[in-house]
Amino acid sequence: MRCMTQTTAAVRAIGLAKRYGPADARVVALAGVDVEFRRAEFTAIMGPSGSGKSTLMHCVAGLDQADEGTVWIGDTEVTGLRDDALTSLRRDRVGFVFQAFNLLPTLTALENITLPFDLAGREPDRATVDKVIAALDLRNRLHHRPSQLSGGQQQRVACARALVTRPEVVFADEPTGALDSTASDELLGFLRRSVDDLGQTVAMVTHEPSAAAFADRVLFLKDGQLVDEVTAPTADGVLERLKSFERTAV
Amino acid sequence: MLTTMWRDLLGHKGRAVLTLIAVALGVTATVGSWVVSDSIAATLAGEETRKDVGVSVQSPGKEAVLTAADRDRLAATPGVARAEGVIVGRAGLVGRDGKFVRTTTVLDRAGTNWSGGRRFTVEAGRAPAGPGQVALNKPDADKAGLTVGDTIRILLANGRTDTARVTALYTYNRLGPETTQDSDEASDAVPVAAYDTRTAEQLLGKRFHRIELTTAAGASADAVKAAVRKTTPTGYHVETGRALAEAAVRQSDAEAQELRMTMLPFAAVALLVGGFVIANTFTLLVSRRTRQFALLRAVGARRRQVRSAVIAEATVLGLAGGTVGTAAGVALGPSMISVMRPGDDVDFTVSPVAVLLGYGVALLVTVLAAYSSARRAATVPPVAALRTDAIVPREAGRLRILLGAGLVTAGAAMVVATADPSSSNAARIIGLVGTVLGVTGMLLLAPFLAEVVLRPAARLLGARSRPAVRLGLRNAAGDPRRTAGTATAITVGLALVCSFATLSASFSALIASTIRANVPTTTTVLQSAAGGQSSLTRAEAARVGALPGVSQVAGSRDVLAGLTYPGGRTERRISAIEPAGLQGVLTPDITAGSADLTRGVVISRNQADMLGLGLNDEVTLRLDAKTSVTRAVVGIYDATELQASIFLNVADAPESLRRQITTLYASGPDPDKARASITAAFRDRPDVLVGDRETLVRQGVDQQSLAFTLMYAMFGVAILIAVSGVVNTLVLSVMERTREIGVLRAVGASRLLVRRTIRVESIVISLFGALLGVVVGIPAGAVMQHAMFGQRLWDFSIPVGIIALALAGIAVAAVLAAMWPARRAARTDMLTAIACE
Repeated sequence: MRCMTQTTAAVRAIGLAKRYGPADARVVALAGVDVEFRRAEFTAIMGPSGSGKSTLMHCVAGLDQADEGTVWIGDTEVTGLRDDALTSLRRDRVGFVFQAFNLLPTLTALENITLPFDLAGREPDRATVDKVIAALDLRNRLHHRPSQLSGGQQQRVACARALVTRPEVVFADEPTGALDSTASDELLGFLRRSVDDLGQTVAMVTHEPSAAAFADRVLFLKDGQLVDEVTAPTADGVLERLKSFERTAV
Repeated sequence: MLTTMWRDLLGHKGRAVLTLIAVALGVTATVGSWVVSDSIAATLAGEETRKDVGVSVQSPGKEAVLTAADRDRLAATPGVARAEGVIVGRAGLVGRDGKFVRTTTVLDRAGTNWSGGRRFTVEAGRAPAGPGQVALNKPDADKAGLTVGDTIRILLANGRTDTARVTALYTYNRLGPETTQDSDEASDAVPVAAYDTRTAEQLLGKRFHRIELTTAAGASADAVKAAVRKTTPTGYHVETGRALAEAAVRQSDAEAQELRMTMLPFAAVALLVGGFVIANTFTLLVSRRTRQFALLRAVGARRRQVRSAVIAEATVLGLAGGTVGTAAGVALGPSMISVMRPGDDVDFTVSPVAVLLGYGVALLVTVLAAYSSARRAATVPPVAALRTDAIVPREAGRLRILLGAGLVTAGAAMVVATADPSSSNAARIIGLVGTVLGVTGMLLLAPFLAEVVLRPAARLLGARSRPAVRLGLRNAAGDPRRTAGTATAITVGLALVCSFATLSASFSALIASTIRANVPTTTTVLQSAAGGQSSLTRAEAARVGALPGVSQVAGSRDVLAGLTYPGGRTERRISAIEPAGLQGVLTPDITAGSADLTRGVVISRNQADMLGLGLNDEVTLRLDAKTSVTRAVVGIYDATELQASIFLNVADAPESLRRQITTLYASGPDPDKARASITAAFRDRPDVLVGDRETLVRQGVDQQSLAFTLMYAMFGVAILIAVSGVVNTLVLSVMERTREIGVLRAVGASRLLVRRTIRVESIVISLFGALLGVVVGIPAGAVMQHAMFGQRLWDFSIPVGIIALALAGIAVAAVLAAMWPARRAARTDMLTAIACE
């Protein structure tokens, strides 16, 4: 099952562990996870609620600190970075798409898209911005505020923002959670194309088998541990696999 | 429902505390000023006046005319056990440093004779018993650092000086109402220095100011009064001790009332600003909890229930804020008193009224301020609970813009219509009302202005500045109503400061220009160093006149006189002066008639316009109880409303006025030589100030700016409250934008950047409010100076220094106000921020 890496890893984590709560009521979110997201690959992370999939992503992406383990993004060791360095890393080398509330309400769509450049005090690369905007079909929405956009449009703006910096990896946390199936498919289709056409690395947490079917590879997490992995998944295959976990749990 | 609200309140203590602070600060100012005026009033009323005197007979007018023969005659009146004469005369203390000691009592009434009776209570030492011995009023001695055993110099009438050893310090027990001036009413002044009677006769004069009669046992004071009245010429004040004591009580009551009336407007300003802060805080609280209200509505809460819940919350916060504010106001009272009445012994009293007032205003202001938010909370549709998007920024309401613009237009029209410098009092009041309307309109327009000013500013400035500046500007411009709501409180405070500073600056400029117009640079000016109503005497005038190089001397005697003119009666400050004075040492700009005082009076043009007087019209001046003179107007001169506006020939004035010279003007063929010889001649006279017209300008300007300083301090409290409102808004908006900040952090904003952004936002909000305050305050000040001094509208001076100081202060305050919210924002946990609710 386990493939040898032909491409180098964009993100690598070894022995990640994370616990919450006081000693007597400890919740183990991650119990020593080793994981790799390969370059130009679309990886989905699945698992039942409470399996630690979001925690895994937060720790790998540098949004949260793991208690144990090491994370590399490219050749940079993320664990142990100070806040300022971590901030620049997030700004320049990582893209994020969250489930909801991705955008700043006082900024227009275009301003939201170029926000990372804004924060860095750099001029955005016009060509990349134009390409991303065209790909996401946002040309006519650039001067709208988030409150004037539909949920799908908002997520597309978030996607655009995640991609304009040409980051080493885009992390998406349930990006389709609040969307209907049409908008969902559009967004996932776009993430897929960004991997195929632009060579982008994408890691996505989801609980929807149909979303996971867009990925190259699906990792299954249970009780804070990596339990399975499927390459070239189909929605049915993923669903089957999920059901099998639930059966073993009962 | 109430339980929900109560839990909510307890669950968000930070939020409750912020509102509480806003309520408490306003209440503190109110209760503080109430207890201070209450305490001072109670102390004034509680001051013992003497009850040992049966009947007092006081000289008419300002002149002491009662003689030893009068005393003996009165002593012989049936029912009188004892008669004691009170000598009053000129006495000024020279301090250890050789400088003149300023005392509250006017120089001419500062010296007296010692009495073994109840007039003096010895605090230290022994009563003066002969030449070279003197007793001093303890508060004055304390102020000058003098004590028993010191040898001091005392300046007497006619330029004489006495040197004496201090044998006692006393406190004085007044008989009847207090005066610090040389009043001709039945009153008593606290003397600064007391000699034994024999020495006093030699140094201060043999005549008595009044004679105090002690009634024999069993005799009625009223009967004695009636008997004395019959044998005493009219004009003399004959009063029973009881009537004088009652008059004293009336006087202190009136004084206390006046004090309260001056203190409470400041408290009202503090409350007004506090109200803005509370209203804005509630608006933010309600918009923050939109989803919660929607949920309540969705599960079946009626609109009224939601509304009452918010009102109930306001009530709880009002009560809590009232408690804290009242306690703080009471606690701060003593220190406020010590600042306002340094050196005075004030009994601190807290009346139940003060406590009730504290709770009353706390509840009223909080509930009123929360009411519109409560209404808004009730209109939240249940479906809002399902929305996941952020709160949509609100635009400025159209109705509000219309109303604001209407008020500004109406106000401006009222001001312009009454802009004539010679307009009547009624017109001036209309102008002031127009100003209030205009300012209110501007406050209503604040959200609109925030929109039209900040949005382009954000676009322009933002394009080429650092990310923190850009984001902060955008945040402030993004929600103009929130920005305006916060800024308005600062606007009110700063508008007050600016308008009064404009008034003060215009006043200073007016004093300077008035003095410079009337007094040529060549003229040397002499005044009493004692200040206030103290004056120079004819001895000084004679001495100046006799000096080599001095050819012209004139003394102006300023007094408030009753004025009867063809159109009615009023009171005006007049100046009695030698006729030659207007043709050399003073140079009034005569616009009609002549400056010849020997033929009549000379009046300023704006007074003439106001009273409808022209050349040759007759006016009657009542100079004191016995003297009235009727003269024709012979000249009109260009002047302002500040100074004595009518010149009169000194020969027409009564003797008592003639010898009290307010200001001496002198010059000679070589003015510099004249000034040099005058300065040399008065080198050893610390009670006489020698200078030129700039001395007069400085003195006038200093006096009036002092009066404004206290006012600025009070408005400072209002600005402090407004700044606390900025903290409030920032903290709440940081809470409101937790997810926004989380996203910012996630996509790469450093903590420092977040902190800077909040700081920029604070500065933008505060400076917007402050600049609006300046823009509103200066025109308001211009109208005020027009209404108060009868100047043209545009004849105002801009108080550049104070405005710069205020703006700098606000900027610093804005940075400080942002500290806590900015730290909080920078610490925002990205994960909770981006997690879904």
